Amino acid sequence: MKVGVVGVGCSKFGQRDVTIQELAFEAVSEALKDAQLSQEDIEMSVVGCVGTRGYELMPAVVVNEYCGFAGKGPIRVEAACATGSAAVYTAYSSIKAGIADIAIAIGVEKMSEVDTATSAAIGGRAGNYLWEFHFYGTTFPAYYAMHATAHMAKFGTTEKQMALVAVKAHRNAAKNPKAHFQKEITVEDVLKSRMITYPLKLYDCSPIGDGASAAILASEKAVKEHGFDPVWIESVGYSSDTSNMSMRESYVGLKATRMAAEMAYKGAKITEPLNSFDLATVHDCFTIAEIMAYEDLGFCKKGEGGKFIENGESDFGGKIPVNTFGGLKAKGHPLAATGVAMVYEVVKQLREEAGNLQVDLKHYRALTHNVGGTGHFCWVFILGR
Amino acid sequence: MIVESRELRMKHRIPVVKTERFWKGLEEGKVFKTVCKCGKSYYPPRAECVCGATTEWAEVSGEGIVECFTVVHSIPAGYEWSKPYRIVIASFGDVKIMGWSNDELKVGDRVSLYTAKDESGVWKVWFKKV
Repeated sequence: MKVGVVGVGCSKFGQRDVTIQELAFEAVSEALKDAQLSQEDIEMSVVGCVGTRGYELMPAVVVNEYCGFAGKGPIRVEAACATGSAAVYTAYSSIKAGIADIAIAIGVEKMSEVDTATSAAIGGRAGNYLWEFHFYGTTFPAYYAMHATAHMAKFGTTEKQMALVAVKAHRNAAKNPKAHFQKEITVEDVLKSRMITYPLKLYDCSPIGDGASAAILASEKAVKEHGFDPVWIESVGYSSDTSNMSMRESYVGLKATRMAAEMAYKGAKITEPLNSFDLATVHDCFTIAEIMAYEDLGFCKKGEGGKFIENGESDFGGKIPVNTFGGLKAKGHPLAATGVAMVYEVVKQLREEAGNLQVDLKHYRALTHNVGGTGHFCWVFILGR
Repeated sequence: MIVESRELRMKHRIPVVKTERFWKGLEEGKVFKTVCKCGKSYYPPRAECVCGATTEWAEVSGEGIVECFTVVHSIPAGYEWSKPYRIVIASFGDVKIMGWSNDELKVGDRVSLYTAKDESGVWKVWFKKV
């Protein structure tokens, strides 16, 4: 039983002056229109929302009601920054299991309702509260900054190479009307920006923002009945790792990514990842994360991620364009919206609807890579036409 | 236009009964891990091994090696009292330990550990460059 993506929607990311349910409806209504479906056609609604920064403690309920899905579930899922991928996976699984023929995955997050210090504390509590935040004040940038110092020490990765990830992200986001940031930046801007958590500076970090995204998935049977022109989910890989950083094997990569990629590649019979995709959207919540993703996904050897960005291999015209939409770094990272938005972007590219951010298609196949926490969760989706 | 929500304050009460030896150890200047007869060692310590057996307490001592570190400049809520702080993970044989350090450290440096209170009165692990 194949599962296809038949409709996608995405709100503008950024600091949004709307409630969580209003925000979700922006993406849902766009996805319904895209699939030429109405609420009555949807059998299962999955709402991804981390939710800890918003005033609604049971966001799935209000989101479902506002979107017209009361009575269609809802299931709320949470997997930190990979919550959106968990929502897509849950919708996919319900179709695979024969529970539904048409399901919607919604990712929505309002992060701007609390102040920055509170948001930093909530993020920091998302590792292992007692043994990390309580004692040591670990924040999310701190977790990735520790990976950065380990990567720099072991492989000579530089702050300039990390800055190049941000420069590429902003250059792409400037052409994306849905992106949080619409302004290009230089390496000097990144290096001179204020220190958040050594060695990560302000422009090495994705912003705190709001956003929503939605994807409508359909079974092969529903595709035939409705005459959809889908982008198929060819393979899914997922994995996880310890909550405590001190229990990890090393700090120069994410084991959860390597395992999820291995599972997804095996499912799609991919042996040469670099030569199998037209583009990839990878989890770049911090610039070092994208460099580690190149390596963990097998686009280059371990330790060569810095050179990969430096040589332009992840840019348009390079070996594999990565984060063509501006990435989490510049398009934005409203936690649960991210994973579904990755599917949105890839679907738009594979349908050749990405406008001035369109890549050349040869394989008609793309990859999404979404990490939750600091490698606490990971999902890799392979989509193709 | 916005509406300010009703205020909600939460401060959790966390049970540490099963790891009490660790918490008391910090006040005695000792850092404990747990070990199981099946060969697994745990830090953070836990009273039960995944194999189902009860673990035993063992003190961590000697020199560790810095695996990674960072300095937090953007201070989160709950740490308003703090200046920028250095978080370090160092390996001590079969376990890795997170701690704070006042010393400038780099990956690969050798460190010893000690325990002390921070300015908020919380006992924790600290690292000193050897």
